[in-house]
This record gives sequence, structure tokens and C-alpha cells, in this order.
Amino acid sequence: MKKNKVYSIEQQQARWGFLFTVPCLIFFAVFSFYPIIYAFQTSFTDRQVLSRNYDYVGLENYVYIFTKNNGGFPLSNSIRATLIFTIGTFIPMIIMSLIIATFLMQLRRDKYRGFFQLMYYMPAVLSSVVAAAIWMIIFDPRGLMNQVSNFIMRSSGVDYNWLVDPVMLQVSTIIIYFWKYIGYFVILFITGLAAIPSTIYEAATVDGSSRWHTFWKITLPLLKPTTAMVSIMAMLQCLKTFSTQFMLYQGGSPRAPIDVITMNIYFTGIRNGRLGRASAMSLVLFVIMLVFTYLQLVANRSSEDVEY
Amino acid sequence: MNKFVGKVGIVEILVWIFLILVFLFTVTPIVFMVCASFMDSRQILAMPFHWIPSSDYFTSADRTFFTNFVKAIMGNNENATFFRNMFNSFVVAIVDSVTTVLLASLCGYGLAKFNFKGRNIVFMSIMATMMIPFEAIMIPLYMVVSGMDLMNSYRGLILPFMVSAFGVFQMRQYLLTFPSEYLDAARVDGLSEPRIYSSIVLPNCKPVIATLGILSFRNQWDNLLWPLLVAQRETMKTLPQYITQFSEEKMTDEGAMMACAFLASIPMIILFFALSRYFLGGAAVYDSRKG
Repeated sequence: MKKNKVYSIEQQQARWGFLFTVPCLIFFAVFSFYPIIYAFQTSFTDRQVLSRNYDYVGLENYVYIFTKNNGGFPLSNSIRATLIFTIGTFIPMIIMSLIIATFLMQLRRDKYRGFFQLMYYMPAVLSSVVAAAIWMIIFDPRGLMNQVSNFIMRSSGVDYNWLVDPVMLQVSTIIIYFWKYIGYFVILFITGLAAIPSTIYEAATVDGSSRWHTFWKITLPLLKPTTAMVSIMAMLQCLKTFSTQFMLYQGGSPRAPIDVITMNIYFTGIRNGRLGRASAMSLVLFVIMLVFTYLQLVANRSSEDVEY
Repeated sequence: MNKFVGKVGIVEILVWIFLILVFLFTVTPIVFMVCASFMDSRQILAMPFHWIPSSDYFTSADRTFFTNFVKAIMGNNENATFFRNMFNSFVVAIVDSVTTVLLASLCGYGLAKFNFKGRNIVFMSIMATMMIPFEAIMIPLYMVVSGMDLMNSYRGLILPFMVSAFGVFQMRQYLLTFPSEYLDAARVDGLSEPRIYSSIVLPNCKPVIATLGILSFRNQWDNLLWPLLVAQRETMKTLPQYITQFSEEKMTDEGAMMACAFLASIPMIILFFALSRYFLGGAAVYDSRKG
């Protein structure tokens, strides 16, 4: 009898636990799972913004986005632009933030380290459009960047066409993104570095290991899980980039070199009203991100279990 | 010993030089924005560049150091939609960060402290939504929102970002370490489960609430893509849209553009220096994902 009562209280409690998760479950069902299924369904239709009627057209949208020109902005170009941007941003970002974080850890006083962290993080606080607006002026033909570049390259009066030349334009978007997020990734690495017990370093110092040697033989291997996690995050974030490219395009730069997938989805779906085609593109983006995540997870699985 | 100290000195100096170079790289553009917002275009694009705003470059007699700010606020149509759009940004960012904190803590609490049937399925399916990026579902979301007649409304702007899977995860991780004894004691005292959540669990989550709230606020303050889709009426647009439009039309007025960018950044800069601990913490908690 008594045992029965205890059981029912626990059951009652468990029901409360489930109830607490219901609002979120409903939210994710409506705003995550349903839309991705809806996107899948729409990608097989010729649905457009202005008309409520549509027909199922089979794989026509997929054939279209992979083989047709899409008014001068084919998906293949978008995939190329996105991959160049992603690889061009995330590799330097990971390497540089790791170096900066390691150097910051060398500082003897926490006060200095805190100051640098704060200052490195500042750009991440600004909106992406603000970041792009600032750099658009710095990249102006008469702007600061040409002056600095000419000073470094010891040339005079050369215009590097930061916002016009297709290659330089891609470099520019990479610089803007790098600038905005470097501090953020430095902090992620610092968290990882701080988790390595100082006793290991003390032991290494006692054994006469040089700083250089310690970095390659101790820090880097122990930091592998952090590096894996940070690079997945950086990569997924780069694949989703939109605001920087959109702002530069609105500012008068050519669209094709920086026509990343999200921008193409926006223009195809909203500006041109081709919801079916845009949905097909969305699913391509979704699959690309899934594949990248999977590859990263597989590549890092062996290194996941690091114990200090 | 002496030799050792000398070696450290050189490394130390190199480290400092490197860190200061990075410092210049991250901070110079922000200083540039602030300085340029007081300048005439002639000075911004002068070669060589002078950092101190000067009236020597002014092109017209009625120009002052604040002309740029007046232009930025008056906007393209001289109707000061700037304030309205800033207000919209505030509404969306505040409402979304409050709902994120509430819903995520409620769900995270349910997942961390109760043993109900199917808990793992619930948890895994919420985590699975992390794999569905907003950018891949914005088109169907747009169709849903326009089908519900929520275009150009606050509800349309707010709804898709009311909670995030990451927020739920973070709350759950935090509450897993929360001692269950407190909860049991409260139950013995006869508190109802919702009361336990609101008067014991929530007040004890302050640090994680602050980080999550700030993260969500910042994400919405920065959001351009979704408002571009659902807010097409001037009065319903948000700040990132305002800046994009303004810079498109005032492309040759660099000073006004920078003033606009500066004004739009002030709330975030204030928030950052007031609560930097939680900003930096917000970046760091991502690291707990692996654990």
C-alpha cells in the first residue's frame, strides 16, 4: 500500500517533467521539423510567391538548379563561392586563433590577458552589417586599406580594387568575417587551454622541455577535442554566411563572386518568387552542412577521448 | 640563470609585439568608425588620412560635427524611421531573449531533473534540430508566416526565434549539476512543481540565464535575413535592414554611413562593457558541448 503511493508520487512528478518540455517540443515541431519537411515537399512543386496554386513537377527543380543558369547566378557558382569563402575563412581563423590564444596564455598577468581578450572580442559585438559598412569605406579606392597596402608593398598609388575585382572581393569578405569573429574563437581556445592542468606543464618544465617543444608535444595533442569542436562550429557558421555578402552587394559590388548559397536562396525565393527552386537549394545547403558535420565528426572520433 | 632570464625576455617581447599587432587589427576599424562619423566625406577619403575630425574639410558652411548623425537619423525619406526601426530591434531582441530563457530553462529543467518515459527521445530530437540550420528552412518558414498572415508584424519577426536547441542544451547541462536535495526539500514543504521551478530553479540559474539571454539578444540584434523576408513595410523593419538601405542610398556619403553604423552599435557597446563577463562567458560555454 505504502509502496504504491510512493510510486504514484514519482509518476506524478515524472508527468510534470514531461509537461515542462512540452512547450519546447511544440515549438521545435512547428518551427524546425515541419519546415524542413515542408521544404522537401515544396522542392517538388513549381510554387511561386504570388500564386496560391501549384503543381508537382517531380525533380524538375533539382534538374534546373544543377544544370541551368538561373538568370546568370547558377547554384554551381554559389557552391563554389560558399566553399571558397568557408575554406578561406575557417582555416586561417583556426590557426590564428590558436596562435593568439597560446600567446595570450604566456602573459603572466591575468589583467593584461583580460584586456586583450576584451579588445579582440569587440568586433563580434557589432552587427554583421555594421562590420561590412565599416570595411566598405576602408576598402574604398581612396580608403585606408589601399594606403596601408601601398605602404606595406612599397608601391604608390596602386588601387587594389578591393570591392570590384572578383578575387579581391572574395578576399575582402574573408577579411571582414575574420575580423569580426577572431576574438570569439580566441576565447573558445583559451577555455580549452585553461582546462589543461598546469601540473603537466610544470612536469614538462622540470624535464627541461622548451616552450616550442611543449607546445607541439603537449598543448596541441591535448587540445585536439577543442580544435575539433571549434572547427566544426567555425565551418558551419561560414557555410551560413549572408549579411556580409549581402551588404557588399547592396553597396555596389558585383554579385557573382560572393553569391553564397544563402544569398542565392534569398534572391531566387524572395526577390524572384521561385519558392520551389529556392526550397530545392535550401535542401542542398542542408545536405552540404550535414555532410561537413559528419566528415568532421568521423575525422575527430579517434581523438575524442583525451584525459588529463 | 641569467641566460634563462634573457631568453624569456626576448620571447616575451615578441609575444607582446604580436598581441599588440592583433589588438591594432581588431580595434582600428572600430576607432575608424567612431572618428569617421564626425567627419566630412572629404576628410574620410583624404590621402593621407587624418584621424582627428577637423572642420577644415567641411564642404558647406552649415555643416557641423553632428551633421552626419542628423542625416543618419532622418534617413532616406527624412521621416526619422531610424527610431522606429531601433525600437523594433529592441522589441524583437528583448522578447526573444526573455522567451528563450524561460522556455529553455523550463525544458532543460524537465530534462535534467525528472525521469519520465521517453526522456531520451525528447532530448535527442531537440538536439537534432541543431542540425537544421535556419538558412535551410527560411523559405518554408516564410510560407508558414505569410500563410498565417503574420507578415509585417512583431509576431512574425519574433516567433521563429523564441527558443533555441542550444539554449535547452545549455540549461540542461547547468541544471544537471544542481543538487536535487533542494528540490526534494521543497517538495516535502509542499511546494507545487511549477512553484519549485519559478522560486527555486530559476533564481539559481542567474549566470546561465545572463549568458543565454545576452547571446539571444545579440543574435536577434544582428539578424538581417529573417526581417528581410517578413518585414517589408518601413515601420516594421529592424536596424540591420535600416543600415543596409541607408548605405545603399547614401553610398557616397561615407560620414553619414558611419554615423548610422555607430548609432546602431551604441546599445551593444554599452551592453558589452557593462556585462563583458557574460559576453565572454557566452563564447566559452560552447566548449561545454563536448562534455
